[in-house]
Amino acid sequence: MRKALILSIVVAFALSGCVQKEILDDVNLESGSAYDYVNGKLRGTALVPIYLPDKAVENKTYSANSSLSRDFLSDVQRQSQDPIVTGSLKIVLFGEQLARKKGILDLIDSFQRDPSVGAGIFLAETQGEARKIIESNYGKRGTAIYISNLISHNMKTKDLPKTNLQRFLSDFNQRGKTPYLPQLRLIQKNQIEISGVSFFRYGHVVTTIPAEKMFFFKLLVDQYSQGSLKLKVGKELAAVESIRSKYKMKLVSRNTPAINVHIKVNAILNEYSGIKVTPKELKMIEKKLNKKIEFECEKLTKQFQEKNIDPVGFGHFIKSRTRKFNFKQWETDYQNLKVHVTADVTITESGVIE
Amino acid sequence: MGQVVPEKAKVSPFLVFFLVHSMQLGIGVLGFQRIIALTAGYDAWISVIIAGLSIHIILWMMYKILESVDGDIMDAHTFVFGRVVGKLITLPFIVYFSIVAITLIRTYIEVIQVWMFQDMSVFWYSLAFCGLAIYIIFGGFRTVTGVAFFGVILPLYLIFTFFFAIPYADLRNLLPIFDHSIKSLLLASYQMSLTYLGYEILLFIYPYIKDPQKSKKWAHLGVLYSTVLYTALTIITFAYFSEGQLQKNVWATLTMWKVVQMPFVERFEYIGIANWNIIILPNFCIALWCASRITKKVLHIQQKYGVIILSIVILIGINFFKTREQINTLIDYTGKVSFVINYGYIPALFFLMLIVKKVKKK
Repeated sequence: MRKALILSIVVAFALSGCVQKEILDDVNLESGSAYDYVNGKLRGTALVPIYLPDKAVENKTYSANSSLSRDFLSDVQRQSQDPIVTGSLKIVLFGEQLARKKGILDLIDSFQRDPSVGAGIFLAETQGEARKIIESNYGKRGTAIYISNLISHNMKTKDLPKTNLQRFLSDFNQRGKTPYLPQLRLIQKNQIEISGVSFFRYGHVVTTIPAEKMFFFKLLVDQYSQGSLKLKVGKELAAVESIRSKYKMKLVSRNTPAINVHIKVNAILNEYSGIKVTPKELKMIEKKLNKKIEFECEKLTKQFQEKNIDPVGFGHFIKSRTRKFNFKQWETDYQNLKVHVTADVTITESGVIE
Repeated sequence: MGQVVPEKAKVSPFLVFFLVHSMQLGIGVLGFQRIIALTAGYDAWISVIIAGLSIHIILWMMYKILESVDGDIMDAHTFVFGRVVGKLITLPFIVYFSIVAITLIRTYIEVIQVWMFQDMSVFWYSLAFCGLAIYIIFGGFRTVTGVAFFGVILPLYLIFTFFFAIPYADLRNLLPIFDHSIKSLLLASYQMSLTYLGYEILLFIYPYIKDPQKSKKWAHLGVLYSTVLYTALTIITFAYFSEGQLQKNVWATLTMWKVVQMPFVERFEYIGIANWNIIILPNFCIALWCASRITKKVLHIQQKYGVIILSIVILIGINFFKTREQINTLIDYTGKVSFVINYGYIPALFFLMLIVKKVKKK
């Protein structure tokens, strides 16, 4: 018995040196990557943060051309002092040319396949070259963290609908649903903004909606979401913030498909240019808001139908309510789908002054 | 017939819960969702329940068989087939449990190789694992039971990690319910046999249970717990993955950990997979113990030597499975064999037993 114990201890110690070690100080942790399509070739850029002694972060990027997506990493290894590993990847950007012409499907495959890439990383499309965005310096904590936080807080509290790798993959593989990603834009040197949401079909960007429309799109796809909105009430201007929104779909008819979407929003009034906010005026604002949401959401769904994309997932919704659902039939039926949106906005508070 | 197990080597009836459940929870649970979803689509969670409930019937038959001889299945074989044939029929179980042990450890090593260390040596790892298992089995059946107990309790916290998937869950994926035929539902239940395998150890550990009448309840509870766990996991998986996406993932359960984000750990899979070691260990020990128990009773080799011989056989056998395809074939066959034993052989033995009892009474 004692022999066995000693043996297992010895074996355990002997074995601990058997696998390849990856010591944090001796590897380059890739925190972001950008892909572009330049002159018929794929160009990958890896972003590696280098932590300086004074706690500042230096952004170092490596670029290489290649035909396979992950392949560029092995070329980049030749430029890097330490091996580059992907365990802490946070953001992946796709350039405009790539997302619109070549498609991003081949690239997505490698992120699914690689066990060390998390499912919570953010993907985004960029206006112009993705490399330019990832090579710029933004905050003190490094470019990758900056972009990642930018997307994350806008999803949590503002108008950007929730997306990340998992949601993208899930939507992409879901029949009757199209995936979407945020779009980023360089507004000046070292400053970026979220400029809209791009919709994909088979890995290609089909259309993009501008940032002003994101609020309405988010109402259609995210449960319990927040966001903000400006609107004109008569001569006055009002800024409203949605605290909590909820949508409910209802299948009205199957043969000539029709869906009712009821959107419920709880909001607060942030700003009002009028002199006083009376209950009467609040009612007015609510009414205006209802109208605006109904109009904009229906316009969005019409736009999606024209482009033959279904980011809201109407197809998936009808499938879940129909036995033996025929997706072939749906492809033609989708054009005839009638979506009716009703909104119900309640302004619960109007700040500390009347 | 045979040796009577001394009272101090026996275990309390409630520990049967841990023995049965820990043997069931193993490597099947890492990726069964994909396979059943291929057959029965997103209705397959019903199959998980059907398969789980059907086990209770088999379990009832097992207890009937064992009660009537008041020993293990080897005594039952002797009772039905006589001394020589009975022994011959028991022998394949050595092969069965060895194959189960190989499947367990090889699949686990594959998971480590794919998710963590590509260059980990199969042989050295399994040698260390066998060494540990031998050490545990040398401690006797009570030690094995203790490992099974901790194999259930310690990794229990892993259940909470699947809550991270809930914000992504879309329960509409599961609708409409019953969109598939009964036939495909039953076929998917059949495919669950690898995941549910393990309760047949009862046939061998029965003489080691104090007051076996009381253990019945615990064995059924153990199986029920597995069923509930698997059903919950299946529903979460189906809600988390869209149908096309699930088909791409070999280990759906592990892939769900990819979404776990905690401030102090970047990739949770490393912790989860390392913890899975504790789940695999009792599995391996019980399988090895059962196999060596048969060698002792049938071939009259001391259990000590039996364990070592079987470990060597496993260490040699494991080298034959190198690629994903070969491992998949192994898993497939293990599932099939376990199905034949549990749903074919045990009911057959149960009815034979009834007939023989009637005949002998006259």
